[in-house]
Amino acid sequence: MAWNEPGGNRNDNDPWGTGGGRRGDDQGPPDLDEALKKGIEKLNKMLGGKGSRGDGGGSGSSSSGGFGAVLALGLLLVLGYVIYQSFYTVDEQERAVVLRFGEFNRTESPGLRFKVPLIDDVTKVRVTNVRTAESSGQMLTQDENLVTVDLQVQYRVEDAQAYVLNVRDSNQALAFATDSALRHEVGSSSLDDVLTEGRAELAVRVEQRLQRFLQEYGTGLQIVRVNVESTQPPPAVQDAFREVQRAREDEQRVKEEAETYRNKVVPEARGQAQRMIEEANAYKQEVIERSRGESSRFLELLNVYERAPEVTRERMYLQALETVLSNTSKIFVDTESSGNMMYLPLDRLTQGATLPRGSLSGGNQSSNDRNAEVDIQELTEQVIRELRSRQENNGRRSR
Amino acid sequence: MGPKGVLGLAGTLIVVLLVLSSVYIIPETHRGVLLRFGELVETDIPAGLHFKVPVIDQVREFDIRVLTMDLPSRQYLTTEKKPLDVDSYIAWKIRDVDQFYRATGGDEFRAQSLLLSRVDNGLRDEFGIRTMHEVVSGQRDELMHTLRDRVNETSVDEFGIEVLDVRVKAIELPGQVSENVYRRMATEREKLAQEFRSRGRELAEGIRADADRQRTVILAEAFAESEETRGEGDREAASIYADAYGSNREFYSFYRSLQAYQNTFSGKGDIMVIDSDSDFMKFLKDPMGAK
Repeated sequence: MAWNEPGGNRNDNDPWGTGGGRRGDDQGPPDLDEALKKGIEKLNKMLGGKGSRGDGGGSGSSSSGGFGAVLALGLLLVLGYVIYQSFYTVDEQERAVVLRFGEFNRTESPGLRFKVPLIDDVTKVRVTNVRTAESSGQMLTQDENLVTVDLQVQYRVEDAQAYVLNVRDSNQALAFATDSALRHEVGSSSLDDVLTEGRAELAVRVEQRLQRFLQEYGTGLQIVRVNVESTQPPPAVQDAFREVQRAREDEQRVKEEAETYRNKVVPEARGQAQRMIEEANAYKQEVIERSRGESSRFLELLNVYERAPEVTRERMYLQALETVLSNTSKIFVDTESSGNMMYLPLDRLTQGATLPRGSLSGGNQSSNDRNAEVDIQELTEQVIRELRSRQENNGRRSR
Repeated sequence: MGPKGVLGLAGTLIVVLLVLSSVYIIPETHRGVLLRFGELVETDIPAGLHFKVPVIDQVREFDIRVLTMDLPSRQYLTTEKKPLDVDSYIAWKIRDVDQFYRATGGDEFRAQSLLLSRVDNGLRDEFGIRTMHEVVSGQRDELMHTLRDRVNETSVDEFGIEVLDVRVKAIELPGQVSENVYRRMATEREKLAQEFRSRGRELAEGIRADADRQRTVILAEAFAESEETRGEGDREAASIYADAYGSNREFYSFYRSLQAYQNTFSGKGDIMVIDSDSDFMKFLKDPMGAK
């Protein structure tokens, strides 16, 4: 602000001391003072010894026209200047602090305002616009780590009177206080807090502390908001921090993979279990039904059998044997005539007859079957021939 | 008329000038002192319109607003002999103008350099009795208040100056120390990364083991249940069979044996060597079935 006096001319020993060099731009009166004095002196010189002015001012009869006109013109000019100096405008964005005889008199709101020249001194302050101050740098945390923080403070003038009268340079005071408050609060937070969840809280704490400073100094400033724009580990260790981030993601990934595994294995096991149980149920029902079926079949048969046991028994026996023998390969042996020794090449007989008995093999069974049939027929014929020849021999012997 | 008039005008002007030079205004932001032949006759003059004797009286006025001053960065040692570069600022104001005038001749620069050396000494002492940790985190407020009060004990009386606040703006570590901090931070992070990875593996292992356990238990329970069910089936079937077949044991064994024969000798691969004397063959040899 204009109140900021350059310290340089503090050392000049002009008799007016600070009074002379002080008050720069927007304090009219001192300069006006000078100007007026000079003007009056000039007027004096101009008028030098000519004419006279009564106490009545302008109402005195002007005898010498030239002089009177000059005087009137001079007075008019002075009057115009005074009137011009008596009005000023305050913009919508501003408030004006008015000192009368140096003492605080009033604060004016926007509009066309009146002041008494030479007596009132007006300082305009912009109050509506939001000002910003930045603070950034590398600072220490509570756990003695370093962190780089960028912070922005938005503030505005709350109290124009205090702003003008209490602190010489409120903006600089705020800038200093911001630096201090930020470092103080970072210094009482842990690194992790500053880098992560604690950022919002940090901003709040800085704001409170800063507002307290501003009140203590009476700056008339009000903090609008404090933004912690970024908090980062120092560049030298950023890689290590990124590594931690990656490790976190790895942890998550590994965990999720395991969960995927679980979500696969457990339901599958449940499915298997379900299958086992269902199969058991199926088995249970099957055996029960089969037993029922077989029992009733048996009972039906028994019914018939009890009515004609002999015949039924015979029939059943023959039928069964018929089924068996028609389905198998047969070799008949006459035990009486064969004497005590008989050679059956069983290994040869069973060669090629080793069919899978599981009855489930499909495709090549037929061909196998056929081969087996041919083989066995051949074998059977051989055996029969053998038997016959033996029989003949036996017959010859017995005769 | 002419000369008279001129004289009158001149007189008026002189009077005006005299009046102007015998009043002065002290603004709200300042306080003044009045010097007569260099001697202080009036002190602590408040804001407003005041009178003085022209020519022989001189007015000096001083800014009594709060002033801030930056203290350039200096190095201080903590109690563990760690060097810290400390940048701070002072907020101060003139409390007693005549004392201020006597001490400094009204020169703010001199006042600032006096304050600066005092605060500098104070900081050196206060840092010297604290550890780095205390300085950085715990005791900033306390340190600053102590320092402020200490400076004020003398400065108000001696210079007419009151220190409102001394604040550390920045504490920086010298290069070598920063390097150490970086190394430590990196090591800590590596440890943390390792921890995360291991913890992930641990959790994953736990989850997998849990899954396997669940699978085993589920299957075992299912097995138990299915066996039980099969057993029930077997029991029921057996009792049905027993009921049916129990009614004629002899016939059952005959019937069942026949069935078994049919089932067991069912393929061409089975070779039956049959005695021609068997019952089945009796008609094969002899139509009358005689042996």
